Amino acid sequence: MVGINPETDFTVGPWLEANLDHKLADDEIILGSDAHIFLGKSESNPGDEEYFYGKKYTVVGVLDPTGIGIDQSGFVTLAAVYDMARGSEKNAVQKLDVATGQISALMVNVENNASRSDVAQRIELQVPGVAVVTSQELMSSSVARQLNTLTPGLILIGIGFWVISVLMIGALFSMIVNERRRELGLLQAVGATRKFIFGLVMLEAVELTAIGGIAGLTIGAMAILALKGVIASSMGIAYLWPSASFIVLFTIGYLFLAIATGVIAALYPAIVASRLEPYQAIRTGE
Amino acid sequence: MIELQTASKIYETGDGLVKAVDDVSLSIRNGEFVAVVGHSGSGKTTLVSLMGGLTRPTSGQVLIDGKDIWALDNVNLARLRSEKIGFCFQFSSLIPTLDSIDNVRLPASFAGGGQGDTGRAMKLLETVGVPDKAKSYPSELSGGQQRRVAIARALINEPRIILADEPTGDLDEETEGDIMDLFENLNQQGVTVVMVTHSHNLASRAGRILTMNAGMVLEGTAV
Repeated sequence: MVGINPETDFTVGPWLEANLDHKLADDEIILGSDAHIFLGKSESNPGDEEYFYGKKYTVVGVLDPTGIGIDQSGFVTLAAVYDMARGSEKNAVQKLDVATGQISALMVNVENNASRSDVAQRIELQVPGVAVVTSQELMSSSVARQLNTLTPGLILIGIGFWVISVLMIGALFSMIVNERRRELGLLQAVGATRKFIFGLVMLEAVELTAIGGIAGLTIGAMAILALKGVIASSMGIAYLWPSASFIVLFTIGYLFLAIATGVIAALYPAIVASRLEPYQAIRTGE
Repeated sequence: MIELQTASKIYETGDGLVKAVDDVSLSIRNGEFVAVVGHSGSGKTTLVSLMGGLTRPTSGQVLIDGKDIWALDNVNLARLRSEKIGFCFQFSSLIPTLDSIDNVRLPASFAGGGQGDTGRAMKLLETVGVPDKAKSYPSELSGGQQRRVAIARALINEPRIILADEPTGDLDEETEGDIMDLFENLNQQGVTVVMVTHSHNLASRAGRILTMNAGMVLEGTAV
């Protein structure tokens, strides 16, 4: 349970500003994404009422997952914490050892161009009796900078690979059409129209690239599942799964792109196949 | 009736231009049984392909029942091929990924066929003597059996014209005889049969013989 000063807090302060149209009241609580587990519930929602140390608190918000301890926390005002401590005298098995006015931690927000270790040292020198802990590199620091630098390059590489895929699939279907010239000529000889032949080649392209897309998605998902721990520990950040709706949209978009790649790549070979003269196609295939 | 009017077919090859069919004019009446004979490379297959709309003449016209087939759009030309003409090629012309009955039904499906095609296809497989091979794939059939299935396929839409290119090419005598009997029966029912053959023996069973040499028809009826 974290007691905050809503006037100065910068951990949940931004969330409060964005989502609450009033100051956090002393009988209100914001829960982390996993806090409901400790309440013995399957989920928590704004508007729920929870009791802590004999007093009712209204849930005014549930934070998005962060992958760190915040997910298992509840955020109330400092006054609410002192209330809980007083309430614990009568309502808890073990009294909370929190005196009114006491604080257990002070968060210092260091400016971007300042060194955390320097600030930590000065606090230790000037405020006797405190222990100073500096945070690990977070997303707002060098990892984020590295990712921002890499992302345009990765996008370009991705586009490059896509272009190569289109060319390779196009070449593959040209070979397929060439190999099957006789069969395509025969189909025309027994009544297939050009449109049918065109559709036949395109349908095969759609089927193949859809299967390839599904295979790619499956292999990619398995790789992420297997490596997410390594990613998190090597980058020093929490690994969070995107929301279910994002995953669904991404899957649909990815499959659409895979199929579109096949359609674009097979277009020219399909046109060539549909324009084969039956007799020439049959002769060439002999 | 099939008519060729000053039809030519010229190919570009590495050795220059080749006139596979050279200014041929002929007509074949409904119900005729015509054999086309000649040496290899004389243009027999190209001639029959012109008749069946499988290749466009470089010059001249090809008419079936008075209509220039190359004036038709692709859909109507495809319909002509599936409904009016049955082709028997000199090579194994079955689709390898379809079993025999599906191969036989193929032209019917392009002609907008339905469930009744399966019954007709089975009957045709019985007619050509391979009813027990309905579910066999081409790789499971002998050369003769494949040829019989191909003939059944050519007949599925009850075409008025059969164009057969060396239909008995590499078959044994007995199978050859069966196939010729089949063609004769069809012809007696009014089907026009044009058959390319190397064999003068087989050609003699036709009612009329066209001899080709260097792209020209040496015998035939001028239009």
